[in-house]
This record gives sequence, C-alpha cells and structure tokens, in this order.
Amino acid sequence: MPDLFITILGLGVILTWIFLAMMLTIKNARIKELRLESIRLKRSLDEMDEQAKLIVRTDMELNKTQEELDKKISGLYALQRISRAISATLEEKRIFELIAPEYVNDLGFEKAYAILWNEREEKFKSQMNIGYLPEEKEQLDAYIDINKGRYLKLIGEERTVSSITDAPAEYAQLQTEIKQTFKVEDFVISPMLPKEGNKGLIFVGTERGDTPINDGDEELIIILANQISQAIENASLFEKTWKAQQELEKKVMERTRELTRALNEVKAVSKRKSDFISSVSHELRTPLTSIKGYAAILLNEKLGHLPDEVKERLEKINRHSDELVHLVNDLLDIARIESGKVIMKKELLDLRYLVREVADLLGVQIKGAKLDFAMDIPDSASTIFADRSQIQRVFINLIGNAIKFSPEYGKISVAAKSIDGAIQIDVADTGYGIPQDALEKIFEEFYRVDNPINQTVKGSGLGLSLVKYIVEAHGGKIWVKSRLGSGSTFSFTIPKKEN
Amino acid sequence: MAITVSIGIGTNTDVAMAAHEAAMRAKQQLDAEAIHLCLVFTTINLAKPVVLKTIKRILPDTPLVGCSTLGVITEKQIYRHAVAVLLVSLPKDAYIHTDCVQEISLKSSVRAGEELGNRLIYALKNAPRNFGTIFSDGLIQDNSSFLAGLQESLGKSFPIIGACASDNLKFIKTCVYTNDAVFNDGACGVIWGGKLHFGVGIRHGWRPLGKPHYVTHAIKNTIYSIDNAPAASLYKEYLSTDLATLRKDLKHISALYPIGIDLPAEEEYLLRNTVSIEDTEAIICQGEIPQGSTIRLMIGTKESCLAATRKAAEDVKNALRGKSCDFLLVFESTSRYTLLGRQANNELRIIKEVLGEKLPILGIYTYGEQAPLRAIGYHGIPYFHNQSITILGIGN
Repeated sequence: MPDLFITILGLGVILTWIFLAMMLTIKNARIKELRLESIRLKRSLDEMDEQAKLIVRTDMELNKTQEELDKKISGLYALQRISRAISATLEEKRIFELIAPEYVNDLGFEKAYAILWNEREEKFKSQMNIGYLPEEKEQLDAYIDINKGRYLKLIGEERTVSSITDAPAEYAQLQTEIKQTFKVEDFVISPMLPKEGNKGLIFVGTERGDTPINDGDEELIIILANQISQAIENASLFEKTWKAQQELEKKVMERTRELTRALNEVKAVSKRKSDFISSVSHELRTPLTSIKGYAAILLNEKLGHLPDEVKERLEKINRHSDELVHLVNDLLDIARIESGKVIMKKELLDLRYLVREVADLLGVQIKGAKLDFAMDIPDSASTIFADRSQIQRVFINLIGNAIKFSPEYGKISVAAKSIDGAIQIDVADTGYGIPQDALEKIFEEFYRVDNPINQTVKGSGLGLSLVKYIVEAHGGKIWVKSRLGSGSTFSFTIPKKEN
Repeated sequence: MAITVSIGIGTNTDVAMAAHEAAMRAKQQLDAEAIHLCLVFTTINLAKPVVLKTIKRILPDTPLVGCSTLGVITEKQIYRHAVAVLLVSLPKDAYIHTDCVQEISLKSSVRAGEELGNRLIYALKNAPRNFGTIFSDGLIQDNSSFLAGLQESLGKSFPIIGACASDNLKFIKTCVYTNDAVFNDGACGVIWGGKLHFGVGIRHGWRPLGKPHYVTHAIKNTIYSIDNAPAASLYKEYLSTDLATLRKDLKHISALYPIGIDLPAEEEYLLRNTVSIEDTEAIICQGEIPQGSTIRLMIGTKESCLAATRKAAEDVKNALRGKSCDFLLVFESTSRYTLLGRQANNELRIIKEVLGEKLPILGIYTYGEQAPLRAIGYHGIPYFHNQSITILGIGN
C-alpha cells in the first residue's frame, strides 16, 4: 500500500511537473509573443514618429510656401489696388495720399516714406509717411537733407537697394544706415523716375525680422515705384497741358476781346458810313427830284418855247440828273442792305425765266452791240430760292457790264449748275477782261477798272458792290475770273432752297 | 439694468490725436451717466505716455488699465495701427476695482502675483467677487509662477482670464497701462464683483503629432531634458535642423509647432511656446512644464484654428446658459495671427455668427493667455496657455 501510495504520489509529482513544464512552455511562448508584439508596436510607433517627422518637415515647407504665396497674392492685390487708386488722380500730392497704410501692410511692410527732388529748392521733399510718428518723420526729413547727395546718387544710378541686396561696399554701409535710421529689419528703397516731373525715392520697411523679404518683394516695390513714376509723369504732363491750355485760352480770350472791339469799331464806322450815305442820299434825292421836275417842265415848254441850245442843255441836265438819281438809289440800296434794313423776300424762282426776262429787257443793247446771247441752264439748276427783284438787279448789272465791256460780235452767256445745296451761276463775256491786280478790288465801292472803255463810258462804280451785297444777303458768294483780252466770268451762288 | 459699453478707435498717425479720437468717440457713444472702467489697448507703435495722458484729460476720474498689442481686434476689423478705448458703465449692484504691480523681476513672479491679487481684492473685500481680468508684460518669462501668486491671494479656483501684452512680434518690449503710467515688467488687473455674470471659452485647435515624450528634467518653465536627451533634440529631430537654424527660426517654429502637455480628461493639450533655447539645449517656455509630464509636438492648421474659434465661442454661449451678454473681450495668441494670415478676419466672422452680430467686441493679440481649464477635475483652476483664443463674455 505504501508502495502504491508512493508510486501514485510519484506519478502525481511527475504529472504536475509535466503540467508545470507545459504551462511554463506555453507562458514562455506567450511572453515571447508579447515581446515580439511589443517590439512590433514600438517599431510601428517609431515608424509613425518618423512619419510624423516627415509630416512636420513637409508642413514646415508647405507653410513657408503658403506664406510666400499669401504674401505674393496680397502684394499683387495691393499693387493692383494702389495702381487703380493712383491712376484716378492727376495731382502729384494726391498720388501719395492715395497709398493707404493697409496697402503697404498688404505688401508686407508697415512703414513707408517717399521723397521727391525739388529742382528749384535743391532739396528732397517728403511726400508720404506711413508708420512713423510726426517727430520721427521730422528726423527722417533732416537725415535725408543731410545725406541728399547719396540719395541723389541712387536716383542717378537708377539703383534699387534693399536689406537683401548683395550691394557694393558703399551701399553695404548705406544698408546698415537705413536699417538704423528708419528703424527696420528689412527694407526696399527704389527710385521713382518719371520722364516728366520730379524724380524721387520710395522706401518701404518692416520691423518684423521673422519673415525676411525676398527678391519677389524687391520686384514688387520696383513695380510700385514704376507705377508711381507713371502717375507722376501723367500728373506732370497734365499740369503742363493744363497750363498751356490755360495760356491758350487766355490768349484766345484776349484776341477775341481785341477782335470784338475791332469788329464793334468796324460796325460802328460802317454804320456811321451807312447812316451818312443814307442821310446824304436822302438829302440829295429831294433837290434832284426838284431839278428833274423843273427840267421836265422846261423841256415840255410849258413855260414857253425854248431855243434848241437850251433844250439840248436841259436834256443834258435831265440825263445827268437821272444818272445822279441812279447813283443815289444804288447808294441807298447798298446802305440799306448793309444795315440789314432790306428784307429779302425769298421765293422759289425759275432761273431760266428770270434770265430770259433780263435778256429781253436788255435785248436792244445786246442787239445794238451785235452780241450773241446764250443761256445754258439745265433742269437740275433751274430753280433758285431768292428775292426776284434783287436777283434781277444782279443779272441786269452783270449782263449790263458784259454788254458794256464786250466788243462787237462778242458773246455773252449765262450758265448754271447745281453745287452742294446751291446753284452756281456764271455770267461770261468775251470782253476786254480785267487786269489781275484789279480782280480783288472790283467789288469795292466806287472802284472802277482803269481801261479805255471806263474812260469813255460813265459809271458810278457801285454796280458790282451792290451785286455783291445782294448775293451775300442771300447767303451766297461772288467771285470773278478774268484774263485780259479774253473776257471775264462772274460767278455767284444762290441757295437752292430755304435753309 | 445692463452693463453699458462703448468702443472708440483712433487711427490718426499722430499719437495724441489717435488717443483723442478714440477717447472722444467712446465717450460720445456711451449712453450712461457714470463711467466705471476704461480699458485701453494700443498697437505697440502707439504705446506712449501721451496716449494715456490724453485719455486721462478726457476721462480724469475713470480708472484705466490696458496694454500694448500686435493688433487691435474689434467687431469691424483688425487694426495694426490704433488706439482702442472701451468704456464700461456698470449697473448699481456691480463693482470693479483696478490695480497694478510693477518690477516683477525684482520681486519674483510668485510674490508679484500675490501682491497684485492682494491689492485687487482689498477694495472689494466685503463684496462678492466674480472674476478677474489681468494684463501682464508679455515678456515675463515665468508666467505660471505669476499666476500661482495671484491664486495665492485670490483663491486657487478664482476665475482669472488674462492676457500677456505683445509687441510687433519682435519680442523686445511690451507695455502695460495703469491710469497715466506706461510700464514694463509689470501687470495690471480688474476684479469684477457683484451682480455680474460671465462666460469664458478657451481653445487652440492644435493636434498632437508623433509619439509621446517624457519630460525627464524640468524646473518651472525650463525643460532640460526630454526622454533623457537635451530638450532641443525634440525640435532638431522633428525638423531635421541644427541648433543655429532652430534658434534663428524659433519664433516661427514655436508658433507653428508648440509643445503640448497631455492633461488627463482635458479635450485639448495645454500648449507651451518656446521663448528661447539655451546653449545647453535647454528649452525655455512661456509657462511651466512639470517634470514627468507627457508631452507631444503639436501641429495646427488654419482650419483647425478656425474650428477651435467656433468651439471657444460656443463654450462662451454654453457657459452663459442663456443669460445676456453685453460685450466680449477676446485675447488671442499672436501665433494664430501668424498662422491664419489673411484668414485672421474669419475668426471675427465666426465669433459673430455664434454669439451675435451686434455684440461689441474688443480684443488683442497676446503672448500668452490665462483662463481656467474645462475638465471638472481641475476645479476651474486658471492655467497659463499659449496659442489659444480666449473669449470672455460679460453681462448683467
């Protein structure tokens, strides 16, 4: 029994050992597994951490790029807004007033200062101050005044200097000086070089050292300086043009005043002349009528028989009185037309009929002078808008002159054509012609061409003047073309219809 | 009766004129008989005594506190050159008291915090105190200790919502204002008491990246070693850069990739900006990092930042529990301004979307923020934060 018990106990111990060994093996395997799992987890965590590092680095790069992009977009947007604002003004001072602090901020700077060189005073004058207190601005003005030579050199060399410019030694010193004087970490100073107007410099700066400027910022400020230059140029050109225009307007006004004064004087003189002629003519007409009346009574021998010599003399008195009445009438007509007292009773007239009437009226003289009379008036030019009696006088004068100055077997022609709303009528003859130097004076009152006919044929020298006045009173023009020995053509225009 | 506020902004290039503009506009707009508080924020270029003297001439009897900033935030826009004046007129049953502490570096941060806390509560010792707003020099290195000092006198869980003044990201000089004094190395604050209520929301939106690391040696705000390696190795490894480049780009790197402290139960990590790196490769942070903390490198995007802004605004709304809100103060990290760039204005849009279009808003960009943590386990204890947007809604 004890042996059995010992055997069973031994077996139990062995089984326990086996069980424990198995458990140990399983546990060991589990521990190993967990250790492996832990290693795997640690590795995963390390890998994640490595990935996190990559994310941070990428994020850092992205942030930098984003910041630069944001800065560029803001800068370009600000530049566009500045451009729009300053292009709306043509006043030099206003250009700088329109560059608002927020635009400068959007360009990535908080401080801005601009100066223009005043040639006359030989000094820089500050135009813009953003981010500096009044006392700081005064200090800057004083600094610029002391160092104007160096800043003029920047303008002369068209040189942009910034805190990142790799500049020669002389500018390296200036860079440091600008940083200290303008109290900035980064800056750009660029010349404004308008072709017209004052040149200058624009400065922008930032106190923030954490976001340094780059080439892009420098380019933006150069563009800004160019835009301001363009605006200054426009303002300067506008000012010049404006001044010139003012000057011109002043001159035009002065000249207009002079001309008006002269015209008024001429009008006054002309009126005095017309009044004088009118009054003299009226004064002459009364005694002339009496002379003519008495001469007629005597010629009719109502007061008794007259000897032939007396009759002859009385006929002369009568004829000369007629000429004088004719002259006085012409003078009166001229005076009336000139003073606007004659109202043209315009109506649509058949030109062909009118010319034929005059030709019939003067038919005896035409025949007497053995002249050929021709008329060439097409349908298109057969109607004029004129005062019948006045136009008749024009034709009587012109055809009458043609008869007077044409040798026998000559030709007189009246032609018409339609031109731009008017009818041009040409009265041509094959007469002696008019010398060139007389062509301009021929329409003047009392002017008579110096030729053999005028020496024998009497005339007042008022006929062509009257013709000119009548044509002009109709809104037309008159002129003459002539060649000595070949004849003359008097042309005038009369409107086709009422305006 | 509600709290009456008005905000005046002056943008004149002349400092005194800008101050005059801001104060006069605020005064003219305020529809109230008594003015109890004047908050003044100026961009750093306008941080001049003449600003305060000008404002004090217009508002001689109104207590004035404020600080300098990179930019002034209003409901309309963000100003990079401005004087902002916020005037507050309180109802009968509400109280405030303002005071300041100077020469913090000479006193130790804890003692300075304690001193300011004592001064602030002195005037309101018998009245119920609701919360405090603190403005401190943004270049004080040990902000957590200063906050700890404040908590010593005001109480551990007393709600403090604060902002560290900033400059134009040069980290050279920031200013704090009290009445007509402009000073550095100091802090000022306002204790609000009586029948007032407030809601605060603080979020950042940064997410952890990479594996957790352990702060193996740190004292206050200096980390000497992480995972038993020199602290700077963290940045050197992740950014694959050398110490010199790291130091050069530190402000930028720190703004984008701050260190996050894992706080149990908190939804977001507590962020720490790196102020400088020592030759020993020790990292100096703006706030305390306890030894033994689990930290992560953090990464933020514009989208996550804006989502955090929305959440912060919603937190304010939830904290107010339907009570009225008369105005908002926004303290926002300068890092967010750097990260958001042109989208900075979108934050304003989001805040207005959540809390109302017509609510007066005044805010500043800061080098650090103070606000309580959200998780219950932290009992509303205020902490020093970086990279966050803190929105404080105040009502009656």
